[in-house]
Amino acid sequence: MLEDKVLIWKFKCGSSDALCSIYQKYKKDLLKLAAILLSDVSDTEDIVHDVFLSFAQSAEKLKLRGNLKSYLLTCTANRARNRNRTNRQRQTAGLDKAETITSDSKKPEELIIANEELRRWSNAMGKLPYEQREVVILHLRAGMRFRQIAKLQGISVNTIKGRYRYGLDKLRSILNGEMEK
Amino acid sequence: MKSAENIEKLIKNLDLDIDTNEKTDQKILKELIEAHEKSKKMKSVSIEPNIRSKIMKSPITKLAAAVIIVGVVLSFTIWNKTTPTAYALEQTIQASHSVRYLRIKGFNEGMEEQKEFWLEFDEQGSIKNIRAHMPEWESPSDGARVVIWREGKAKIWFKKKNTLLTIKEKRFADKISETVQLFDPKFAFQRFSEMEKSGLVKIDIEEPQKETEAIIVTATYSPECKEFGVPVDRTILFIDQATKLLTSLESYLLIENGDYELIDVVEFHDYNKRIDPAVFMLDELPSDVIEIDQTIQDIGLEQGNLSDEDIAVKVVREFYEALIAKDYVKAGLLYGGVPVATMEERFKDLKIIRIISIGEPKPHPTPGVGGFMVPCKLEIEKDGIKSVYEPYGPGIRPVRSQPNRWSIHGGVK
Repeated sequence: MLEDKVLIWKFKCGSSDALCSIYQKYKKDLLKLAAILLSDVSDTEDIVHDVFLSFAQSAEKLKLRGNLKSYLLTCTANRARNRNRTNRQRQTAGLDKAETITSDSKKPEELIIANEELRRWSNAMGKLPYEQREVVILHLRAGMRFRQIAKLQGISVNTIKGRYRYGLDKLRSILNGEMEK
Repeated sequence: MKSAENIEKLIKNLDLDIDTNEKTDQKILKELIEAHEKSKKMKSVSIEPNIRSKIMKSPITKLAAAVIIVGVVLSFTIWNKTTPTAYALEQTIQASHSVRYLRIKGFNEGMEEQKEFWLEFDEQGSIKNIRAHMPEWESPSDGARVVIWREGKAKIWFKKKNTLLTIKEKRFADKISETVQLFDPKFAFQRFSEMEKSGLVKIDIEEPQKETEAIIVTATYSPECKEFGVPVDRTILFIDQATKLLTSLESYLLIENGDYELIDVVEFHDYNKRIDPAVFMLDELPSDVIEIDQTIQDIGLEQGNLSDEDIAVKVVREFYEALIAKDYVKAGLLYGGVPVATMEERFKDLKIIRIISIGEPKPHPTPGVGGFMVPCKLEIEKDGIKSVYEPYGPGIRPVRSQPNRWSIHGGVK
């Protein structure tokens, strides 16, 4: 954390090296989070790219109160939520546009997702309502407390806890169902 | 069957093999750097002076002021035994007693170059030797400086002016010593005990579970602290768990919406790592450096019973009279002790016929310089043609190392 403080400081002082270090240090965490949260994993790299791009432009106004990792993960979660919402709207827009969506997607080789485990989890997570998925992932993978997630989503802690419980139950039944097949 | 606990564990430990390739990284990093550079260019040039003015205007440096806060924090805990944590700042004070060598770096908002100090303490814990690198932004008119303090003498190398100034003065030595002692927790708590007793600071101590992480001490000051010369609103100290020594110190200002904005960072390095004695020597000076040794001669004029304004006018008058008489020895002494050869070289082409007038001294317009600017008009001759010449200054102020004496420090030509 001490290292992060210095990196942020140097970044705010204008150091591009510090920016590169921050990217290298946290890109994987962000990619993993985005990959599980997004309905379409091919959007993962775009989201992470956008998060860092916005971060790079924010040196002057950046006022970090928590730790850097949480901040970047929160940005990723917010963007993932927006992207999913946009994708849902596009998907309901009609078949004519579906082809555009497909051709806009990233080619698989641009993103190294070699892990079958990720695909399996991504599929399982994709069956959860997004609100539940986000709470489960932010709590378990990003290490965020319920209180922090509640603040991020602008709802009560009890609602967050409820979503977490329902999400876990549903996930359990999905995974158990898979095992029984 | 998977239980909810198992699911939690599975998700937590899920090792996702996902990454970007090197080519993509290069592409993204290039874009990030471009965006970052662009945002830097858009940053208003007025921000930096603004930040600087926010920091402080008192003679004590910001770095030193930041360390005052260490003192406040440390002093607080000395008397406040109610802090319900295993760690207590007395441990840091205790650990600091054995420090013989220390290196300090200071980073300021918006400034690429850092301040850097090398310190050596004697066996009693008193300052023995200091080397300080002060960047140009700290004093734009003087430029970057290297300061060496040893055996009661300070040598200041003004790189831009190619000048080495040697001074020996108790007040200056005391000030350096005092400044540096502020870094030193074992002295600091005494100085600030009064503030602590008044309850002007709130301390939070956060001890991480991991041994590798720093203990974080947050000191938040009440608004009244500003009156006591504390120029910041919050300080966060990072303390090494193993050694209990201070590793870093951050200073914050309270801004709108109750947020705190980081304004500088001081890092403490190389505790007790022996510093080569050569570090405390100035052996990198250029061969043509102008040496002004104020320890071996009287500089300027003695003030006597004259007012500050009157002595300023007198110094200016005698300086130009000396130049008219081509008395470069006297002119040099009035000009801070500049050597005769340098004076002659600088002023031999300036033929002053007479002093037309010397105006009323005005406080020097540059913050922190001190003393006066004394407007004057001179009649000069160049290539047989006479004209009226008004120097930018001259600037007059007390000689730092010689009490009750005043001299010129610039703006004479």
